[in-house]
Amino acid sequence: MQQISDPGVPDTGGPVLKARTFECMGTVISLTLAADPLTERQPTSDEAAAVTAVVEVLFRDLDETFSLYRPDSEASMLARGELTLHEASEQMRERYAEAHEWRLRTEGAFTPERPDGVLDLSGLIKGHAIREAGVSLLALGRRDWCLNAGGDVLVSGSPRAGSAEPWNAGVVDPADRRTLITGYALGGISRHKALATSGSAERGEHIWRVGGGPGFVQVSVAAADIVTADVLATAIVSGGAPALDLAADRWDVAVLAVRSDGSMLATPGFQPG
Amino acid sequence: MKLRGTVAAALASAGILLAGWQAGTQAGGTSTVGSSTTAAGTTGSTGTGSFGRGSSGAGSTGTGSSGSPDSSASGTYKGTAVQTRFGAVQVQITVTNGRITEVTPLQLTDTDGKSIQISNRAAPLLRSKVLAAQSADVQTVSGATVTSRAYLTSLQAAIDAANL
Repeated sequence: MQQISDPGVPDTGGPVLKARTFECMGTVISLTLAADPLTERQPTSDEAAAVTAVVEVLFRDLDETFSLYRPDSEASMLARGELTLHEASEQMRERYAEAHEWRLRTEGAFTPERPDGVLDLSGLIKGHAIREAGVSLLALGRRDWCLNAGGDVLVSGSPRAGSAEPWNAGVVDPADRRTLITGYALGGISRHKALATSGSAERGEHIWRVGGGPGFVQVSVAAADIVTADVLATAIVSGGAPALDLAADRWDVAVLAVRSDGSMLATPGFQPG
Repeated sequence: MKLRGTVAAALASAGILLAGWQAGTQAGGTSTVGSSTTAAGTTGSTGTGSFGRGSSGAGSTGTGSSGSPDSSASGTYKGTAVQTRFGAVQVQITVTNGRITEVTPLQLTDTDGKSIQISNRAAPLLRSKVLAAQSADVQTVSGATVTSRAYLTSLQAAIDAANL
């Protein structure tokens, strides 16, 4: 096969990666592929495009069903009361059940309903889409990749295919999106393959919580799977310090939380050294 | 309060690892206390006594429950370090109104003397202690959901462009 865009990286240089992006769910999804471990050959543009197309179809299908921004989606019909959950599709009911399970497990910090009572599974769907895409990529035989959907990351393998080297994920500074607060190693020999970040400014909520001190403006959670990371990051933003303690106690996660004054809390996984 | 402090010291010197039982009302009452820390395998034990009337007991961890809810003993008590087959264990308990409300491991070391991380609680993270990651060193960036428009000026976009 034709090898396109060889940057001429020397053997001692950084990993050879190929990235493709597409827009969906109001954000940009990036898929980065590492070189093939058997041939040590960089993925070609055609390969990258073909693999990305599979992921894109999966995201678009889920968006068509679950988006509340699409008046014709099943989720919008449910929200308008034109359809009951009982009549809804199996995948709608499955995600609803999963969201409710998370509500119980997080003691209400994560909820699939908006304050006005409308069913809103958007807190779960992006993570679900990333999870499903990961399954598809593995089924396609891809072992070394990084999938980033609007700042939520799932990785497999290593950026240097066949090695134990982890993917290095940066965590953005909520006060200055051009800089990174810190980094976190994902994949490789790390048991954490997913990193999700939620912010209180995402949907314009108030960043000050009822009943005391400043809440968290940004929460990052690393976990073995993307849905756990994503749901818990959302739960901690909405539930504050009690939700952070609950998540740290009950799940094998690393958490980095940034308060509105810029101070930070971190579980041992995010502490230096 | 002074009395409690004195009693706490007495408990500690008597080697009681964990304590939490009724104050006064049941002189000589017995209650089993303990925690479910990783010191599993040691035998559970019983502490006897009541605050203000002297106390005695042999300390060790096990499982059990604290005293009756309507008692009023409160305070924080440290146990002595105990050797277990997993390493040295020392815990601190907080008693509120006669109930153990918190068990905090103070010390847990493996057989080589290295401390073992058993708490995943969050602690303050000082920016000065963190070497801010450089965007050149990362392959991806995690942040609160960026819109398609915000992506255009994001670090992730720069990284993606470099790998196109």
